[in-house]
Amino acid sequence: MRDTKLDFLKELANIGTGHATTALSQMLSGRLFQLVVPDAQMLPFDKAADYVGGSEQVIVGIFVVVSGDVRGHMAFLLPLDSALVLVRLLTGDDSGEVHELARSALQELGNIMITSYLNALAKMTDLLMAPSVPGVAVDMAGAVWQSVLAGAEVANEVTVIRTEFFADGESIEGHILFLPDDDDFGKIAHSLGLEEM
Amino acid sequence: MTEVFVNMGQISSFKTQGILTTVGLGSCVGVALYDDLAKVGVMGHIFLPQSREKDAGAPPGKYADTGIPAMIDEAIRLGARKSRLKAKLAGGANLFPNLSANSTSIGMKNIKAVTGHLEEHGIAIIGKDVAGGHGRKMRFFVDTGVVTVTAIGKEAMEI
Repeated sequence: MRDTKLDFLKELANIGTGHATTALSQMLSGRLFQLVVPDAQMLPFDKAADYVGGSEQVIVGIFVVVSGDVRGHMAFLLPLDSALVLVRLLTGDDSGEVHELARSALQELGNIMITSYLNALAKMTDLLMAPSVPGVAVDMAGAVWQSVLAGAEVANEVTVIRTEFFADGESIEGHILFLPDDDDFGKIAHSLGLEEM
Repeated sequence: MTEVFVNMGQISSFKTQGILTTVGLGSCVGVALYDDLAKVGVMGHIFLPQSREKDAGAPPGKYADTGIPAMIDEAIRLGARKSRLKAKLAGGANLFPNLSANSTSIGMKNIKAVTGHLEEHGIAIIGKDVAGGHGRKMRFFVDTGVVTVTAIGKEAMEI
């Protein structure tokens, strides 16, 4: 049952991230992205912190709260180097720092990707999943991820669905993480005609 | 000196010497309890302010209301005297200020809860670097009671 649930979540992640990277590709004049096979896990709380590694490395984290029929939290995390490449491609700023303009460009980019991801799932399931305005942080990976977990008020276990992607030719990689509230997972399964999981 | 990393929800301790470290403090609050005479140090890494029924099996250190008493018990077990305990705090930041106001953020709730429970037990807070919008790393040197806090792009500071 658990494995079925996780396989199902992986499939959702594939579809969601496929749409998200297509949106990103359109913003970057057709640059192609490859997806890494998604990972879906039900992590016990004491393993959750280490799920995103390199806790002292600087990353850019974009975080939204999902509301509607399916509630949860989403995060788009990317290493600082990748974020700077994206900022250069989007704005022409190659200063190597995350200035205010860069921050809003990343916020908008995160917004478009997360919205595309959720729209794909919403269309498939006919359930409403609406993202909040995104928050952006440039900080230690551990602090960003921990704040996401606290925002989700994780109890003894957290369902995390992660997709990684990278670009051909430029060093861009990132993770999209979806933390659906456990209570609402059944709704997704039900809407797709699957048995109660 | 031995260095132990204190993960979210954990409580770790040393007597005489050792370094207790917590990395990636965002909205979490790192708490250092110290008895300088007995040279006993306990560190906690508090995740949320208040324990919940739906998370009944959680380690006590995950929540401020259960974590502070558990830390005091641990200090006493190692030979500390409660009346000599002093506390230092770091963390409780709000990394996504456009999602929640600083005054109602999880970080601020954690700071208030930890501070309240320490006060209830008569433990003075003698150093802190809390709130704001950035993550922190906290290291607690049990031989001296010194606590250092580092953040990206900032000088390390002693609290």
